[in-house]
This record gives sequence, C-alpha cells and structure tokens, in this order.
Amino acid sequence: MARMKFLCDADRCIECNACVTACKNEHEVPWGINRRRVVTLNDGKPGERSVSMACMHCTDAPCASVCPVNCFYTTADAVVLHSKDLCIGCGYCFYACPFGAPQYPRVGNFGSRGKMDKCTYCAGGPEPDLSTIEYEKYGSNRLAEGKLPLCAEMCSTKALLAGDGEMIAQIYKERVIKRGYGSGAWGWKTAYRETVAI
Amino acid sequence: MRRGRTLIRTFVAAAMLAGVAGAGAGPALAQTAPPTTAPTTAPNPTAESVNEDLLFKQAPTIGGRISIPDQKAANLIQPQGREWRGFHETWMPWIGAAAILGMVVLLALFYFTRGRIRLEHSEESGRKILRFNGFERFTHWMTATCFIILALSGLNYIFGKRLLMPVIGPDAFATLSQWAKYAHVYLAWPFMLGIIFMFVVWLKDNIPNRIDVAWIKAGGGIIGDKHPHAERFNAGQKVVFWMVAGFGAAMSVTGLVMLFPFAATDINGMQVMQGIHSLIGVAFIAAILAHIYIGSLGMEGAYDAMGSGKVDLAWARVHHDLWVEKEQARTASGPQLRAHQAPAE
Amino acid sequence: MLIKRKSGEASRTKHQAIAAGLASGVLDRRSFLRKSGLAAGGLAAAGTIQLGAVRRAQAAGSAVSGDAVTIKKNICTHCSVGCTVTAEVVNGVWVGQEPSYASPINRGTHCAKGAAIRELVHGERRLKYPMKLVGGQWTRISWDQAIDEIGDKVTAIREKAGSDSVYWLGSAKFTNEASYLFRKLGAFWGTNSVDHQARICHSTTVAGVANTWGYGAQTNSYNDIRNAKTMIIMGGNPAEAHPISMQHVLSGKEINRANMIVIDPRFTRTAAHATEYVRIRSGTDIPVIWGMLWHIFQNGWEDKEFIRQRVYAMDDVRKEVAKWTPDEVERVTGVPGEQLKRVAEIFAKEKPSTLIWCMGATQHTVGTANVRAFCILCLATGNVGKPGTGANIFRGHTNVQGATDLGLDVTTLPLYYGLVEGAWKHWARVWDVEYEWLQSRFDEIPAKGGRKARTRKENMEAPGITSTRWFDAVNLPDDQIDQRSPIKAMMVFGHGGNTVTRLPDAIKGMNKLELLVVADPHPTTFAALDARQDNTYLLPICTTLECDGSRTASNRSIQWGETIVKPAFESKTDYEVMYRLATKLGFGDRMFKGIAVENGLPVAEDILREINRGGWSTGYCGQSPERLKAHMKNQHKFDLVTLRAPKDDPEVGGDYYGLPWPCWGKPEIRHPGSHILYNTNLHVKDGGGCFRARFGVERNGQTLLAEDSFSKGSDLTDGYPEFTMGVFKKLGWDKDLTAEEMAVITKIGGNNIDAVSWATDLSGGIQRVCLDHGVVPYGNGKARANAWNLPDPVPVHREPIYTPRPDLVAKYPTRPDDRQFRMPNIGFSVQKAAVDREVAKNFPIILTSGRLVEYEGGGEETRSNPWLAELQQEMFVEINTKDAADRGIKDGQWVWVSGPEDGTQAKVKALVTDRVGKGVAFMPFHFSGWYQGKDMRQYYPAGTDPVVLGESVNTITTYGFDPVTGMQEPKATLCQIRAA
Repeated sequence: MARMKFLCDADRCIECNACVTACKNEHEVPWGINRRRVVTLNDGKPGERSVSMACMHCTDAPCASVCPVNCFYTTADAVVLHSKDLCIGCGYCFYACPFGAPQYPRVGNFGSRGKMDKCTYCAGGPEPDLSTIEYEKYGSNRLAEGKLPLCAEMCSTKALLAGDGEMIAQIYKERVIKRGYGSGAWGWKTAYRETVAI
Repeated sequence: MRRGRTLIRTFVAAAMLAGVAGAGAGPALAQTAPPTTAPTTAPNPTAESVNEDLLFKQAPTIGGRISIPDQKAANLIQPQGREWRGFHETWMPWIGAAAILGMVVLLALFYFTRGRIRLEHSEESGRKILRFNGFERFTHWMTATCFIILALSGLNYIFGKRLLMPVIGPDAFATLSQWAKYAHVYLAWPFMLGIIFMFVVWLKDNIPNRIDVAWIKAGGGIIGDKHPHAERFNAGQKVVFWMVAGFGAAMSVTGLVMLFPFAATDINGMQVMQGIHSLIGVAFIAAILAHIYIGSLGMEGAYDAMGSGKVDLAWARVHHDLWVEKEQARTASGPQLRAHQAPAE
Repeated sequence: MLIKRKSGEASRTKHQAIAAGLASGVLDRRSFLRKSGLAAGGLAAAGTIQLGAVRRAQAAGSAVSGDAVTIKKNICTHCSVGCTVTAEVVNGVWVGQEPSYASPINRGTHCAKGAAIRELVHGERRLKYPMKLVGGQWTRISWDQAIDEIGDKVTAIREKAGSDSVYWLGSAKFTNEASYLFRKLGAFWGTNSVDHQARICHSTTVAGVANTWGYGAQTNSYNDIRNAKTMIIMGGNPAEAHPISMQHVLSGKEINRANMIVIDPRFTRTAAHATEYVRIRSGTDIPVIWGMLWHIFQNGWEDKEFIRQRVYAMDDVRKEVAKWTPDEVERVTGVPGEQLKRVAEIFAKEKPSTLIWCMGATQHTVGTANVRAFCILCLATGNVGKPGTGANIFRGHTNVQGATDLGLDVTTLPLYYGLVEGAWKHWARVWDVEYEWLQSRFDEIPAKGGRKARTRKENMEAPGITSTRWFDAVNLPDDQIDQRSPIKAMMVFGHGGNTVTRLPDAIKGMNKLELLVVADPHPTTFAALDARQDNTYLLPICTTLECDGSRTASNRSIQWGETIVKPAFESKTDYEVMYRLATKLGFGDRMFKGIAVENGLPVAEDILREINRGGWSTGYCGQSPERLKAHMKNQHKFDLVTLRAPKDDPEVGGDYYGLPWPCWGKPEIRHPGSHILYNTNLHVKDGGGCFRARFGVERNGQTLLAEDSFSKGSDLTDGYPEFTMGVFKKLGWDKDLTAEEMAVITKIGGNNIDAVSWATDLSGGIQRVCLDHGVVPYGNGKARANAWNLPDPVPVHREPIYTPRPDLVAKYPTRPDDRQFRMPNIGFSVQKAAVDREVAKNFPIILTSGRLVEYEGGGEETRSNPWLAELQQEMFVEINTKDAADRGIKDGQWVWVSGPEDGTQAKVKALVTDRVGKGVAFMPFHFSGWYQGKDMRQYYPAGTDPVVLGESVNTITTYGFDPVTGMQEPKATLCQIRAA
C-alpha cells in the first residue's frame, strides 16, 4: 500500500499560491480557513525560498496523539484524517502540530473554536467515500476517485509533489542530481523522521 | 525581534513552569540566540538557499512572511509541537495521576492513622457563632461548584479518552466531551468571579502574622496537647486561601490566554500556557481534595462553617480562640446566639 | 473502528454523489452553488430570473443521480501564458476544475488565479444587470432601455461633436473575435480612437520589435525556453506575472544547468531563483544593454557572421555603444562593471541565449528604444531565430497578443495593415462594404492652433488618441487637440479605470464626459470614483469563460475556448452587446454582413472565418475554427518542447500547437504555424522563416535584404523582397496560380494587378505558391539595428521625466516637446521643471509599480474573487529597511506615499523589505477603491464592490509618454513616504 506524503521543492516554489486557491476551489473552503499556505523564508534576502505547507500527514501524528477525544485516524494510505463528529474544537492539535495545519472556524464567544478543519489530502473523512455528507464536511475525495490532491496537481512549477513517499522522494532526488542543488525536503524530518538523502 | 521577544517570553514561562511544578516536566524548549539579519543592498540569489538545518540552528522554529492576516500561519515548522505532545501525552497523565491519587492515599493514611478530629466539648457546646455570612457561603459554593465541574471536565482532557471512552464508546464520549468543553469554557467565568470575591472578602483575615508562626510550630495542634492560638483563619486555612488565590489566578491567566487563542502569545507561548494550566490544575485539584477532607470528613464540626454558616462555639473556641474573643467583644452588646435558639434551617 | 481503507477505486464520481445529495436542503451557499445550479438561480434572483437559470434549477432539482459530467475546455483569462482550464459541468453548472494535463503549455498546472477561476464565473460581486446613474444613484434598467439610451445619446454626441468625440476603449480580455469586432465597430463608427490594454503594457514592444525585424511579438515560446542555456529576464517578474512560464524557465534552468540572470531594480520572486541578480536603477535599461554590448564588441564576442547576413547597420550601434564605458554605465545605472562584464560574456558565449522582458522594459518614456536595444543585443549575439534563443516577450492579459493583432490600436486596422488607403481598401473588401462609405463615417477636421485641416480621408488615416491620454483629450483646450472636438463620450469595454497613470486627471476627465459606458463583468474603478452623477451606464458582460472564441497566447498560439456555462445573471457576451449596439447605431446589417447571427447572437466561428479571410499579413489566415478545435481536442499529442504533433496524426499531423501565427495560406493547405519566428533552419512549410523585408530593399547604398541567408529549402538562395504579383511575374511564378486565384487577384488589382501582394491577395494564391517555392511571403530581409523612422533610430539613454539623478538630465535629457497622437507631449518641459524645482530633493524615493500573483490588471475582477482576495487584503508599499528606519516606519504600519504632481498622496501599509534597494519603493498596481485616503466602497452599486479595496498606485504616478506609442511611465517616477 502506498504511503502518501507531500514534498515541497522550495527551489521550484515561486509562491504563486495556486495550491492555496486550488484547495479553496476543490473543497469550497471558506474565508479564513487555510488548509494550505505558502510561507516565504528570508523574504527579499539572498537565499529566499518559499515553501507550501499543509498537513504533512505525519508518521505517528502528534495531533492524533494529543486529541482528547481520539478523533484522528490514519487511513491505509497513511493519510491522517479526523472525524468532525467527534472533534470538540479544543485546539490541542494546533498546539501539537509542527506545521500549523489545523484550522478552526470561529464560532460562538471569545474566540471559541468550531470543529477543526485541515487538509484531508483530498481524501475526505470517515463517511462513505464520495457521499454528499462526506463532501459537506470534508470536501472532495479525490483519492477515492484515483486522483491526487489538487494542490499538487495544479502546482504551477510542479514544486509541490504528492503521492507515494518513495516515488516523490525519487522524483525529487533525480531533480536534485540533475540540477545540482536542493534545499531539502522541508518538514520531512519533523513529519516522517526521515529525509531525502541524495 | 519578534522571535527574540517570543523566546524571552517562552523562557520566562518555562522558568515559571519549572518553579511551580518543581519538576522540569514542561516542554523542553531548546533556546538559542535570535538570528542576526545583516542588511544587504544587492542580494545574491546564488547564495546558498536557506535550508531547514541551517534555520533550525538559528532559531527553534522556522517562520517567514505570509500575506494572509493570520500571522500564526507564518510559522512554517515548530518541532516544539512534538515536545508538547510528549509532555502532554507521556508525562501529564502520570503527573496528574500521581498528584491526585497521591493526595487521596495521603488523606486515607491520615484518616486511618489519626482518625477524625473530634469536636471537643465544653460548656459552650451547643451555642452557635456565625462564622460565614450568606454572601461568603454563596461565593464559596459557587466557586466550589464551578471548581468541581472545571476539575472534572479538565481531567477529561487528560484521562477521558483513557478511562471513560473505552467504557461509553466514542460517540457518547465525544458528546460528553463537547458538553464538558462548553462547561469548562463557560464556568470558567463564574469561577474566576468567585476567586476574586473570595480574595476581596477574606484577604484581611488572611494576612500572615506571628500567630501563624506559633500555629505552624505547634503543627496546628497535632504536636503537643494544647491548641495553638488562631484568629479567624489559622495558618493552615491561610495556606489554603493563598493557594486558592495563587492557583486560581494562574489558572485564570493561563485559561484566558487559551480562551482567546493567539491573542496574547504565539504557538510556543500557547504550549507553555497549556502546560502550566494542566500542571497547576492537577496540583490545585490535589490541594482542594485535602481542603475538602479537612472541611468534611477530617474534622467534626468544620463543615458547619460553610454549611449553615454557624459553628459550635466550643469548636470555635478551640480552633479560632482569638477570633471568638474578638467577635464576642465586638458583639458584646449585640444578640448572641444561645443554645437551643438555633434558627430553623 | 475508525480505520477506513481507501481503495482508490471510485464507485461513483463525486458529481453523481453531489447530485445525489441535492435534496438535503441544508447546504451553505457555497456548497449549494457547487452542487446544483440552484444557486445560479438564487444569484439570478438577485437580478432577474432568467430562463437559463430556471432551467438549471429545475434540472438540478430533479437530478437525483447519474447526472452526466460534461468536460469543457476554455482558456484562463488572467495572463498571456494561455493555460487551458478544464471545467466539469453538471446540469449547466460549473462544479469543478480538473488539471489540464493534456495542454502542452500548462501541463495541468495553474497559478493562484487560474486555480481560482471557477469563482470568477460564480462570483457574487459581479455586475448582475444593466444599471445607470440617476442623480448619483445606481438604478437598475433593462438591456433594451440601456442600448436604446446609450445609442441615442452617443448618436446625439456624434451629431454635435463628431465621431472622434467618442472614445472606444476595448480589452485584452476580449476573445480574438470580440477584439476584431470591436475594431470593426470603431471603423464603422468612424474613428481610429480604438485602443486597449496593450497601450499600457507592450505597445512599445510591438512598435520597437516590429520595427527591428518585422513582427512585434514573442519570437519563440514559453516551452522553447527549455532549450536555452542562458536566459536574461530583464524588467519582468514572471514568478508573479506569468507563474506557469516559470515551469518552463525553471525546467530549462535545471535541465541545461542554464544561467538564469535577472536584471531588475527589485529582487523579485523570480530573482530569488536566479543564478545571478543584477540590480539596476529604474529607467536605465539602455545603458545596461549598451554596457553589455560594450564588453561584447570590445572582446569580439559578437556573432559576426549573423550580423553580416541578417542585420542592417550594426555599425551605427557600435558608435553609440562606444560611449558607454563601464565607468559611465556604473555611474548611470549603479551596476558594478565586473558583474556586467560577466553577464555580457555569459549571454554572448553560453548560447543559445534568450532575453525575456516585460513591462519593466516597456513602461517608460523610452520604452520603444528600450526594447529596440534588447533586440539589438539578441541580434549582435546571433540569438534570434533558433531554438532556445530569441526575444521572449511575455505579454500581460490573456489575449493581449490577439487583441493587438486584431487591431485594438489607434494606429492600425486589424493585423497590422496600418491606416493607409490600401489597408482600408483591403478591409473594405473583406467586410464587403464600400470604401467610400467607411470614409464617410469619419470627421473632417478643421485647422487648429496653426496646424492644417484634415480631410475625411486624411483623418481616416491619422492615428487616434491613446488610452493613456484619453482624459487629456477631454481636459485640454480644444485648440490643442487635433480633432473636431475633444472627447465627449467613453465606451469602455473590459478596461479598468485605475490602470492608467495620473488618476486625478482621469477623474477630472470623467467629470467632464457627457457619457460614460462601462461594459464589464464588474463595475470597475470607473464606477467607484465618485466623479459623476448621471449619464453613466454599466453593462454586465460575461467573462470569456462564458463564451466561445479563440485567444492568442503570448507565443502566438491560438487556442479555442468553448462556453463553459451560459452567461450568468443578465450578463451578455461582448458579441451580442456589440451586435445590439451596432444595430441600434444603424449599421448592424452592414457590419455583420459576412457573419452569421443566430437568435441575436453572432456566431464566434463565423467571426474567426472572416478574420481568416482578411488576416494574410500576419498569417491569421490558416487558423480556421475547425483546426483550432481539433487542436484543443488533441492537446496531448503535441510535444512539450517543440510544440509539434507527430506528422502522421490524421487531425493535427505536423501542426505546432495552436497554429502560432504566421500560419500561412488558407486552412486547407494545412500550414503548421510558426513556433519560432525567423528560423532559417526550417522549411517555411515546417514553420521556418527569415526576417521580414518590411522596410524596402535598400537604404543609403546598403541592402536591406538578407545576404547568403535563407530559410531551408528555399528556391531563392539570397535575400528577396516581399511578394507581389509584380515580383511573381518577374519570377514567372504567376503561372503557378490557379484560375480561381487569378480571378480574385485580378478583381482586387483592377488596373494595377502588380501591386496585389501576399497581404492583400484574398485568394491566398500568392502565399500558397510562395510556400511551394519554399520562400516566405513577406520576403527575406535584414533586421534593422538602425530604425531610421523612429525618433531615436539607434536607442539612446534618456533619463525618466522625474529622475532621482537631475545631474544626468543635461547629458541625457528626454526628447523635446512634440505633438503625438493628436496632442502635445510636453515631457521635456515637465522634466525641466522638475529639475528646476529640485523635485528629487523633496521626493527622493524612486517609485516603481508591478504585479502581484493573486491579482491582475486593475484588479476589480480578481479582488472580487474571495479565494484570491483573502491572500492579499491590503494595498502596500515596499520600502527598504534603511529608508523605513530613517523615517521611523515599521513593517505593517500605515504610511502616506506622496507623488510629485498636484500634491497627490496615497494611504497604504508599509512592507519593509530589502527586496527593494535603498531609495526605491514598489507598489502593486491592482488596487483601487480608495482615493487619497478615502474609502470609496459606497460608490459601487450595492453588492458589486470588490472584496478588497485599496489605493491605486496611479493616484501618484506622473507624466511621461513614449513618443512612438504614447506609453505611460509608471515604472520610474519619484515619491516621498512618511508615517501616517
């Protein structure tokens, strides 16, 4: 079974934000919820690089571990999903997540959070695949259609790679060998406790 | 700059945490000096592009610029999440269990070795003296009720999924937890109000003084056979007061910070706040268990103070002799509650 | 318990699933919209419920399962790269977007705008029905009323003030067909004041490049950049302006380990990925190029053989370049000599090299000269006409290339025929109208201010007023404007009001107009500037995603887009509105004589066929709608790098993707199009070519025809002039023409048949025969290093009007005051006054403007799209850390940016960064809706205000116009910044 991962090639990423709006488009993500975002490091300085970041679908995911209601689960593709029926919006997953992935709609008083929302790797949620209820709660389920996350599919420079971890690592490796430089697989050490060795 | 300030805040918070907990069980937050950014006029893009290892050497988190207003999104990677998780999932359940169960065991030991402290009868037995008025009792019980629910709903965050969920199933547990969360969030307000009231009302009787030193030396009467002098509140009660005031304030501050996420601090600050909140929380619960014990099971006659508000004069004379004298002097001309004149309740 | 296996096999598609859930009735607005089309009805209800919407709603309501998903392909409207948009449509509602992997241009990818384009069509903030201002209040009216009132008013203005008093501002967002119709509408109305956004983006490129080697367009393609070993990107930031092009740029950089050199005043997101970044002072492009050429000539790195064969008068350039010693270059531009030498050597030696530019080069008073210098650098190093080389000019809007080609320009009829009598007669033949009738539509111009009068014919052949100065033509005294009367009415189709410099003057102009019509999916800045009370109309036009038609990408590839969904709300296509307007104005039948109109809707395919019938000069003749549609259907067959389909394919065999013009002859002869212009290594039938012999055969005793250079397989093995019947007769090739072709030629030529040329022969015979002989119809000439017809035949450096270096003005002044495009251009006086008043002391910071990836153009459309608007919520100014520190300005705080003219100022957020050098500030140009600190949101018609508003940079930009094209100068002016 494939082990799905994201890899952002920062030497390709031009901060065009296509991944961000593709995600909005595919899942009708409301204003203020950013399942994916692009952060520019060393902005305007030598070595400036941008990295597109969303849920990395960690191995041994911290969010799942700290969740007081155990609403997270990992699919057979190693995609970390959660159940909005169980989520109580406590915010623990945001504290634990190394990548700032969990998002919360603001509901009620004093900044209290609604049910957490995050990148689903375009794989929906616990409801039956491709059901309306799944779409309403989590957005599209492209994985069930045999497609990959739209953010990566639409990435303008093909910087954002999605797919089986070994395959995308191989693609990245070949790229780096070909061009002779690479700033590494951002977040892999933190998310997967491994890195792409070249 | 911002990162620098954050680090300092984190440092302070971490120090506080270590001090309060007495055990460095908080998130281990590796600290280094903030990066220096030398101004450049003509950037050279061939300069080695930034990479993770390099940036982690400069600062514990990696962040940059982001155009959306949500500035916490500018944080790219914060590995401290894993450390916080380690604290929260590995340490916290054990700390919590040790504190609470430890206290229960301690109190049980005390109960079985020392037994219930009995009311000492005298000629004044049966006469009542007003110890806490209605407002004081209302405040106490409002705070106490809130505390119990807050404690239980708080413990649910740590122990619910471990103890309760296997019993009642995930759906029922999620519903319960959702209500528990609402309860925790909303009851925090009357609780904080109660803490403030109690502090204001009882502060003047809780200023430590020399009498307390003697009281402590006498072990509150456990050492020796004579009861040490005490005013309205003895040193033990004063400790409880200051504990409640201190822990209450700490719980309020950290709770408020979490209630308004990221309004006051960044992600690392939030983690620290959560750590403090949970550590003090279990300490608070343990301490309050002792308070409950001594106010009910542990000592005959003590409960009445918060129950009816009126205590047996004999009991008061033993435990709060100076207060009784003062009170009687003040109200010498006023009505005294006599035996068998207790008002109907 | 919670583990769910994802098998990757879909039992149903998501659309069926979505359709199945329609009855649930608990949807929020967004998912509602996506799911059903019920929301389309709901949105329309805000306007009026149209039949289409009702039908969709009913269809959606009854659809329980199994609804078919229709795939529709159109082209992204946001830049010139030409990304295919693949839409999934259910029950007439656009429910999803899929990656367009088959397209060789974008290969599945999009930028933020393309990935959010679905929202453009569904947009809640679009203009939903026609409106007019009544006493300052927006009032809803019907289409019939709108067309009637506009028609009556514009006719009254025409009678009173002449046809030139109505300005027709078109759009680079038009399809080719709409562009063509709009130009035709202008011609039938009787004015040459028909313009569009190319004026403010690449008009100088078109003029400068065409005057160098024939055609003013990108010589190669985005894909071909993959072949380059060295690329210089000068005055362009494709990472934000053309993100998909970066896929090819970065791939080229990686595959070839190519040098990627970015020359720009700003360390852009593109520069962040470069191998070398050269920071220059804004407005000193020519010294930089001459500085490079100085090293190239000094060291003999030029391509001498290429220059001998294919370049005219390079020696004239040598003389000018000799003045630009490294010291002088560094003094003027700020670029260290060593760095420039290194860059020059790389560009000249590590070939193939390509030069990529954008508006950083073109938007200057010396814009035309700039791009001429760029071309000359390519010529000197032999970097034209081969894979991996060339002038890769990245155009701006989706169809700015096509709109330019089709003549939304004040100096030409469609396809660069110009305005000469022959051009008018050519188009009169294509349109099947009498030349005399067309002439009768034009004004006679009285003598004014000592300048002589113009007859109708002369006026018909006189360039109109440029879009950069329409308001000058309203505001200036009558005797300074060489037409019957100043401009009284503006017909604005798809053009923002904030994209032109000197906004305060534009507002004055708006105030004085007797009629303003804005036809656009959004109200645009024109509606929000609070300058008018009455006689202002807003017409809702659908986006090009809601209509059929072709678009020409920057690389000249033409792509057919099909209607994804019917026009939303009450909006109509450009075609329909122009048809109704023309009909109201009394020439509808005449104008649509050769174009089928079905149910009041002109058929896009038919318009393209008419273009094909007249588009010989630019090779727009072979791209029939059938061929273009076949390309869209067979996208996957085209090669990523060569853009060519396998020869044996039955439908598109041997074609280059999108039949990039020139695509010679009639569609039936199946010319493949020309991927790389002027490529002599290919047979003309394979898209080969040579420089265009456009400027005669000889000058000052030197030949203007190529020497010993010709395209592969040519019957003529040397330079040759363009082909006419006269030339054909000399060569004896006239016998190769068929009888039908001869009949057409004879009819056109009348008693001067020899003058019928490859460009005016409507039979296509001359082009067909040329191809058979392996020659290029336009001749085989030399590129011109000296373009004697331009104000500066060899580019010379001229300081910006508002320069931070007044000390250089004496040596490098701007051009003397002159009259251009019917009006005075007093740049010299303005520059002199600025120097005399020491403006640079009070306004010490160079202000330059540019693009953000999330927005486009004037930005109304993209700022109304919440998915994009969320990403850039505030107008800002980039200010250098040191400048900010000197002024006590912190990142994110409010600042006032003030300009040197009329005390203008703009309140924006400070973005403190080293991206800009010290003494430089950058502002994006997409914002509007604030004016000098005032929020103008209330002036938009209710519900049509964009999500994000902000100050327009053009509130503070200043005077300055290119003498050749009237290009404005928003890239180099001055400002001051202070904390607010």
